[in-house]
This record gives sequence, structure tokens and C-alpha cells, in this order.
Amino acid sequence: MSTGQEQQEKESYLRLPAEVLYREELEALRKADTGKIPAGWQMSPRAVLTFITGGKAGKKEITPKYIGNTRLIEMAVATLVTDRALLLIGEPGTAKSWLSENLAAAIYGHSGLVVQGTAGTSEEHVRYSWNYAMLLANGPTPEALVRSPIMRAMEAGGIARFEEISRCASEVQDALISILSEKTISVPELGGETSARKGFSIIATANTRDRGVNEMSAALKRRFNIIVLPAPSDLETEMAIVKKRVAEIAASYELQAAVPADEALIKVVTIFRELRSGMTLDKKEKVKTPAGVISTAEAISLLTNSMALAASFGSGELTDSDLAAGLQGAIVKDDDKDKLVWKEYLDNVMKKRGTEWRGLYQACKEMNE
Amino acid sequence: MITDARASVNIFGVRHLSPGAAKHLLQTLDEIQPTAVLIEGPSDADSEIRHLTHRQTKPPVAILAFTETLPVRTVLWPFAVYSPEYQAMKWAAEHGADASFIDLPSSVTLGFQDMMARKGEAGRNEEPAAAEPVSPESASGEESLYSRIAALAGECDYDMYWERNYEHNLSSGAYREAISAFSGEMRELSESREQQEQPLEYAYNALRESYMRRKINDKIAAGHDPDKIVVVCGAYHAAALAAPAEAISDEELQTLPVRSTKLTLMPYSYYKLSTMSGYGAGNAAPHYFQLMWEMMEAGRLDTLPHLYLSSVAGYVRGAGTHRSTAEVIEAVRLAESLAALHGGSAPTLRDLRDAAQTLLGHGELAPISEALARVDVGTAIGNLAEGVSQTPIQDDLNRLLKRYKLEKYKSTVAGELLLDLRENRRAAGEEAAYLDLHRSVLLHRLRFLGIAFAQLRPTRQDAATWAEEWVLQWSPEVEIQVVEATLLGETVEVAAAYTLREKLQQCRTIAEASGLIRTACLCGMTAQMEESIRVLQMLAVDSRDVVGIAAAARDLAAIIGFGGIRRVDTAPLLPLLTELFTRACLFLTEAAGCNDEAAGSMIAAMNELNAVSLDYGGTVDDALWLRELLALAERDDRNPRLSGLSCAILLERGSMDAGALSAEVSRRLSPGSPADLGAGWFEGLSMRGRYALLSRMSLWEQLNDYINLLDDEEFKRALVFLRRAFSTFTPREKTLVSELLGEIWGVNAEAAAELLTGELKEEEAKMLDELDDFDFDDLL
Repeated sequence: MSTGQEQQEKESYLRLPAEVLYREELEALRKADTGKIPAGWQMSPRAVLTFITGGKAGKKEITPKYIGNTRLIEMAVATLVTDRALLLIGEPGTAKSWLSENLAAAIYGHSGLVVQGTAGTSEEHVRYSWNYAMLLANGPTPEALVRSPIMRAMEAGGIARFEEISRCASEVQDALISILSEKTISVPELGGETSARKGFSIIATANTRDRGVNEMSAALKRRFNIIVLPAPSDLETEMAIVKKRVAEIAASYELQAAVPADEALIKVVTIFRELRSGMTLDKKEKVKTPAGVISTAEAISLLTNSMALAASFGSGELTDSDLAAGLQGAIVKDDDKDKLVWKEYLDNVMKKRGTEWRGLYQACKEMNE
Repeated sequence: MITDARASVNIFGVRHLSPGAAKHLLQTLDEIQPTAVLIEGPSDADSEIRHLTHRQTKPPVAILAFTETLPVRTVLWPFAVYSPEYQAMKWAAEHGADASFIDLPSSVTLGFQDMMARKGEAGRNEEPAAAEPVSPESASGEESLYSRIAALAGECDYDMYWERNYEHNLSSGAYREAISAFSGEMRELSESREQQEQPLEYAYNALRESYMRRKINDKIAAGHDPDKIVVVCGAYHAAALAAPAEAISDEELQTLPVRSTKLTLMPYSYYKLSTMSGYGAGNAAPHYFQLMWEMMEAGRLDTLPHLYLSSVAGYVRGAGTHRSTAEVIEAVRLAESLAALHGGSAPTLRDLRDAAQTLLGHGELAPISEALARVDVGTAIGNLAEGVSQTPIQDDLNRLLKRYKLEKYKSTVAGELLLDLRENRRAAGEEAAYLDLHRSVLLHRLRFLGIAFAQLRPTRQDAATWAEEWVLQWSPEVEIQVVEATLLGETVEVAAAYTLREKLQQCRTIAEASGLIRTACLCGMTAQMEESIRVLQMLAVDSRDVVGIAAAARDLAAIIGFGGIRRVDTAPLLPLLTELFTRACLFLTEAAGCNDEAAGSMIAAMNELNAVSLDYGGTVDDALWLRELLALAERDDRNPRLSGLSCAILLERGSMDAGALSAEVSRRLSPGSPADLGAGWFEGLSMRGRYALLSRMSLWEQLNDYINLLDDEEFKRALVFLRRAFSTFTPREKTLVSELLGEIWGVNAEAAAELLTGELKEEEAKMLDELDDFDFDDLL
């Protein structure tokens, strides 16, 4: 495939996996890497750290993929060095999946071995299933075996990802217990077992606070190193995250709208932080919190939505009413109660914020009527 | 030249409270085999070294210096087992070398502290070593410097940088060179700024160094081979001490500010050590550094992570949360992998803590925070050999604690102590029989002296006179408070007596004086009681404050009441009680001429006086009390509530019969007198003996007649007062009243109840609201 073709290929996808998106950075890091590379890894732990938290590889600037507490990333990388499975826990929208994808991309060079956990995920998705036509025709043969992403990662000595593990039924979750402690999957039908090669590990993500999640068993928890990802600690961090992601997403969707100005960002992030913490930023006033979770991820999608609105139906400039529509959608999920919460916030907090906020206030007010 | 000779003296720069430094120092000492070990510390504390190295002395301990006169200033030099200074002293003691302190004597240190405090400086930290720039938290301006060093080294904070690069550095020569190079550079960076921004600090530092040079010179002059002298000082001073600069002269020494001081050793605690600011390595986690020291001593530093994480797991399990050995193993692996990520040879405390949080806390800090605190900080408290250079009051207190079997409470973990002050009839001997009483007296004395060893918990009223519930907790602060109390007297009793006398002299109000009598009684200080009585009497003679006198009388009555249990002779109090009571009676009518606001405290006073007259009827002039009450009851020009209350008390005491009451009611509740006076009186009347009132049908008939006679405006006014009077009635009592009135009005009880329990109609609610806004124009 020629470069031009590849480029075209790249552009036609809605969303590219991290290892493709950041291919140049990963290559630069590998080239500049001087550290000791653990078995099965693509680069040294320090280089992985640089890939996630940003820095330099030779002359190449590495963009930060995770903004916030670097120490947490250190702990995540150190965990994977010890071939322990990693469990990222956090509220919705705290970059769990994003981090897991980028870690897998950096360490294994492939982030696509994913089990996407849902209430309907069965044990076959975690272990293996059969191609039934072949099974009926030839009986159990290695060719008829359909390996799960986890099993494939074991064979290749790579990293498998298990998204939203807490949404699976507890029995399905517990299928992981013996896999993680013995690092093998036995296939009794074929009279053998698949043992993990060096480098195999699992990165799982789980929500703490959402509807429809199952408690994880203590036995399973014990087999993971658990890292809790917090909501961004301050306004500046959250601003930086939102700004970076909005620019990236806008570029990949080719949105024909200007990237939102800092003022709009500040307003959205301020509103989100205040509603999330139940307190105004100056800690002087209490604010009611809406029933749903209002995460950084939602601030990002809100802004990109608003940009899409502005691009498709507006002038291309992000206006207050575009923002208001986005805010309304993000905050008012549980109709009546959230609507009141939002109205109260508008009248008690936003209205008093002075002229800079006046336009947004009016637009939100109209929208919420 | 001695200055030249000083150049060959071995100067070993350390970080205070650093196990690494202690380890390397010991190696150096073994190599050099010095004849003299000079240590940065108060030079007048040389005689304490013997006690510090005593076999029974168990660190953490501290040298405490305090001024002999007020204002008391104190300064501390704490030592943990892993302090290089402490280990140097021990080495010297074991090898027969001469150990001495070479820093400014405590008299000058405190003289300076005093001077700076008087100059209104921001307040120098109490620790002499606080200015050591080797520590991360010194002057705020330098903080950025330290965080920059940490960031350059790729560490999360400076402590992590320090531990990784210095504490874990086991190669001896490299350690000494590294630390002296590091602190030399740091000093160069910060010195000029300190000279400008904190000239006093800078000068003080220069002075200390020149004094230390002088002491080193003295040692050389005393015949020690310079090669065989080792100086242990903060790394910051190392270069300055080797430099050929001048030492301080005799004349200069004379001009320094001086406060006369005393020195003592005191036990210290890890908790206190961990909360000290600016004291270098080991401060945040003394117990962890002790573990590190022990492992270093055993030559098994590599097993420190195992020990640390198993200890945390042990505490977590102890608290009822199961954590498996597998998790501890994984935690060790994670910590080691974190260290490797930083290119370190062993995990730092931060690595261990983070690993513990991930594995043992399952990502959360909360489940393991207590366990971490125990393993990091620990609850260790030092111990001194018996009779080791303590102040007399410390000795006295220790003796008393032993005598009253309270020694086990000398712990940093709070302990509860329940005392039963009554005689234990099964115990042998007088002292054993009254053990709890003696304990109580001692604890009360300590409390009175402001020594925060024991706290009294409020107990249930019924047991209050003979039972006491104390919470005892020892802390280094308590030790300091005890030492400070030395200024007041040689023993606990003498100090308490002295304080009581001082307070009595400053006492200006009756309430204070009666409070002091109470204290004297609780503290078992009979001798001082007489003095207190005299003071109270003098104050009472000039007082017309019935409320204050009544409160004092109540206090005295209480003391007399439980005096027997405390085995205090309360007989001298009885005449005083009589006198106070009589005074209160005589001024009652006068004091009753007050507004409604003041009436509140008068009501309490009258109830108290009545209680006293009931309890001590034989002693106090009961007849006078009743006479005065009668007079007040009949007066129209006093506060009507108080007159009403007088009636109620008289009724209760049987000194007013139904006829008299009926006459009084019809007089008070006649349409001629203003409604607020009548209703106010009724409010006073209804304050006591409600059931007696409720059973007097005639009273309610009279009240009914009165209300019927009022016109609308008067009724509204009376209603406001009556509403207030009934507001303190319980719902049951209110129901009884309405039933009584219903009976008078011929309303069926059930119909009345239905009306009463029903919801208020809007109209009615509005009428009630209007009453709240009632206009008292002519009253105000």
C-alpha cells in the first residue's frame, strides 16, 4: 500500500486506533529509546510514560495523551511491567478507555484486542467459542476454535483490553479469575491449553457510579492492580484536556467551524465543575447537582456538538445559542429534576456573573423554558 | 596555628534525623577511631550526653531548654534512634571517646529567640535547626528551588529525591562527598538572598558557626589530635566549619543576648516528630525511618519494602479487612517496579505508599490511611532512665503516677479511666481505700495547672458526685507543660497552690471566687480553701448582685453536698453559705425591679436560692427567704413574672393557702390593671408546680372571668402574654388546660379535643401571625 493510499485509508475512518493515530510519535519513541525493554514490549517503560504524559523523543515532540496526575500513569506502567493486570476505575468520562487504549498501543503496538463488556457478554467472549459449522462437520479441531481477544493476546504475548468490565454479569467477570492467576486458558475439547507468552496482560476499565453496573467480586479485584482515575483536579487541568481533545476531534471530523475560543471553554468547564462539585468555584455558594454524571468527556462532546451545530446550521462561529443547546442536552437528562437544577443554577449563579456571561445566560434561559 | 590544625579535623555533614547519615557516620567513626566527637547541639548540655546514652534511655527523646523566668521560652533538640547525632554519642560512649556539644549554649539560643520575638519578627521556629537549608521546607522562597530539583530528577517531590539519592546510597565515601557538594552548592545559591532578606537569620547562623569553630579550636588546644576529631554537624555548616574563618572571641561572646536557662531531658514521640516543620529527613515518617535504620543495621535494607507492606497489611487485617499475602507480594513488586521506573535501587516511601494504595487499598486511600499512619508515623514515645536529669516537678509527678498506679496511662494512645470516689471498703489500708479519690485530686490539680494530660468527661447527673470519667493521654506537649510548671513550684501540689493563690489575688467577681473554692475543693487543697472563702466573703460584702450571689450560693451548696465524698472538711463553708443566702434574700425585692430580659436570670437565681433553702433549711435563714418572697409576691411595682414566681414558690412551700391565692389572683387579674402585668404575673405563677395549678379549678374559673371582662384590644394584648406563658407547657399540660376551660365553658371534652387536634385554618393561622407582629407601642 503506498503512502497516498494509506493516507486516504486513514481519512475514511471515523476514528482511528491510537497506534495509527500516533504512529509517528511511537516510531520516534522507539528509535530514541535507550531503556531496557521488557519481554514482549515494544519500548521501555519510561518511553511508554513519555508517550502518555508527553515530552520529547529525539527531536520529535510527543503530545500528552493524559493530562493530570503523572504519578498515576507511572503506577499503571509499573503495574504492567510486573505482568499484573491493570484495572482502571473511575467515574464516567475520566479517560479510562482512552488511557487503556494508549497504553496498549504503546506497549504492544496494537490496541484492538478488546472485549467490550455489556450485560450480554458471555463467558465465550472472554475465553473461546466455536465455529459451529466446522464443529459439526469435523468435530473439535483447532481450526474450529474461535479465540477471544484475551486468548489471542495470550498467544501473542500482548495486551488485551476489557472495557466496562463491571457491566458484565458477575459470573462472566469471574471467568477472568483463573485466567489471571494461572495465565492459561484450557481447551478441554482439544485436550490442551493455551499458555500466555511473556508480555501478556489485561487492562480493564470499570465505572464506579452509573446505572446497570455490577459489583466486582473480591477474588477478581485481588487479581488486579487497581488505579482510581480522578476527575481533573483543577480548572486549568480540565481546560487543557478539553481544549486538546476538542481540537483533535474537530480535526478528525473535519468540522467546518472555528475551534471554540478560550472564553467559551472557560464557561463550559466552569459550569461543569460547579455542577459536579455542588459548589461554585469560589466555594461561596452551594449548587444543586444534576442526577447524571457530568464528566470532562461530556464537556468535550458538548463543545464538538456545538461546533457541528455551528458548522452545519450556523455561521461557523460558535455562538451562545449553540453552546446553550449543547449545555441543555448535557445537563438535563432526567427531565424534570435536572431542568429545575439547571434553572436554579442559571438564576442563582450565572445571572449574577456580569456582562461576559449575559449572552450565554439569555440563550440558556430561552432554551430551558 | 590552631586554624590550620582545624583544616585537618574530620567534618561530617549530615542531615538531621537521617538513617543513611547515621549509618555512614558510624562507618566513618569506626575508620577514624576519633578521640573526640563534637556534635552540633547546645554546648551547655554536655552533661546530658551521659544520660542520653544511658542503657535505659529509649529514643525518641529530646533535650529541652527553658528560661527560668517569665515569659517562658523553650527550645528543643529531638533525637530519634536513627539520628546521626544520637548514634555518634552512643559510639563515643562505647569507645571511650570524648563526646561534646559545640553549638551555642541554650542561654544564647533562647536569648536570641527572645530578642527576635521582641523585635516582632514573624516568630522564629522553635527548633534551632529550622534554618537548615538541607531541609525541604525552609524559607518559602527556597521551596521552588527544591521542587525544581525534584522535577529535574524526575521525582514527585523533594523527599522522594532525597531518599532515592541519599538514604539509599550505601557507598560510604560517595555519600559524604555527595552530601557536602550538594549542601555547598545549595548554600551558595541561597546565601546571598538570605543575607538580604533575613539578615537576622543570616547573622545568627554566622554566629553559630563562629562559635562552633571556637569550640573545635578549644578541643584541639585541649590536646586532641586534629586528625582524631570528628565533627558532626548539619551539612549546611560543614564547609563553614572547615574554613579558616575567625572563631568568636571572649569579648564578643560577652555581648550576646542571654536568658538564664535550665536544661532537661524529656521523652519525645514520633507523632510530635512527624508534625515538626523544617527538620530534615525522617520528619514525615519517623517509624518508617526507624524501620529503615533497623534494616540497615541488620544489613538487610533490601527487605524494607517487605517489612513495610506486610506491616500495613497486618494493620489493615487487624481492622477487619481481609488482604491476602499474594496482594502483599504484588505490592512489593509494584513498588520495586516503580523504583525501577525512576532508576532507583529500592522503593522510596512514596513508592511503597502508592503500591499499598493500589494493592491493599484497592485503589483507594481511605481503607489503608490509618494503617499507613501507624506504619509511617508510629505511636512510639521515648523513655528516660529513672531519675535522669528531670525537673523536680517531673520527678514528683512520676512518683505520684506510680503511687496511684497511673503509669500505664502514660501513653500516646488515649485511655479511659473511671473513678469511684467512695471508699473502697474491701481495700486494705487507707491509701488503697481512697485510691480513686487520690487519683481524682491529682488529675484535677494537673487540669488546674493547664497540663493537658487528663480531660474530664461530663457524666450523667445522678452519678456526678461520686463518679468521674477521665480520658488520659500523654504527649510530649504534656511533658513540656509539666516542665513549664516547674516555674510555679517544686511539686504538683505546691505549684497548684501557688497558681490558686495567684488567681485569688486577681479574682474580681463572686462567680470567679466561688469557682476557685470549687477548684480548691476538687484539688483537695484545704489550706487554700480558707483563703478562697475569705476572698469570696470580701467580694460578697460589696455586692448587691443577687444573680451572682445566688450562683455562688449554689456552687457552695454543691461543694458542701459532695465535700463528704471528697473527704474535704466543708464546715468552714457553712457560715459563708448562710451569709450569702441572707444577702441574696435582703436584696431580692430590690433586684426584682428589673425588665423582662434580666428577669430570666433572676428566675434562675430564685429557683437556685429556693433549692438552697430547701437543702440547708437548718443552716440558712429559711424564714427570711419566705418573708422576702411574700413581700415580693405582694408588690405591684416589681417585675410581674418574678412576683408570680414568688407566689408559685410560696404555694409550693405551703406558705400561701388557697384563699390567699384566690385573693391575689382576683387582684392581679382584674380588668383595672394592665393586661400585660396580669398575664405576666400569671406566666410567673405557672412556672412552678404546674400540676398543683392544674388541679385548682378555682384558679381557672378566675382566669376565665378575667378574660371575659376584657375588651377586644385588651384581650389581644393579654393573649400575647398568655400565649407566652403557655408556650412552655407540654402538649399534655396544654390539653389539660383546654379541657379545664372547656369544662367551664360547658364544651364537651371530645368536641374540644377534635377542635384542638385539627389543622389550623388559614384564617386562624393569619390571626396568629398577626399576633406575632403585635404592636407594643406603649410598652417600649
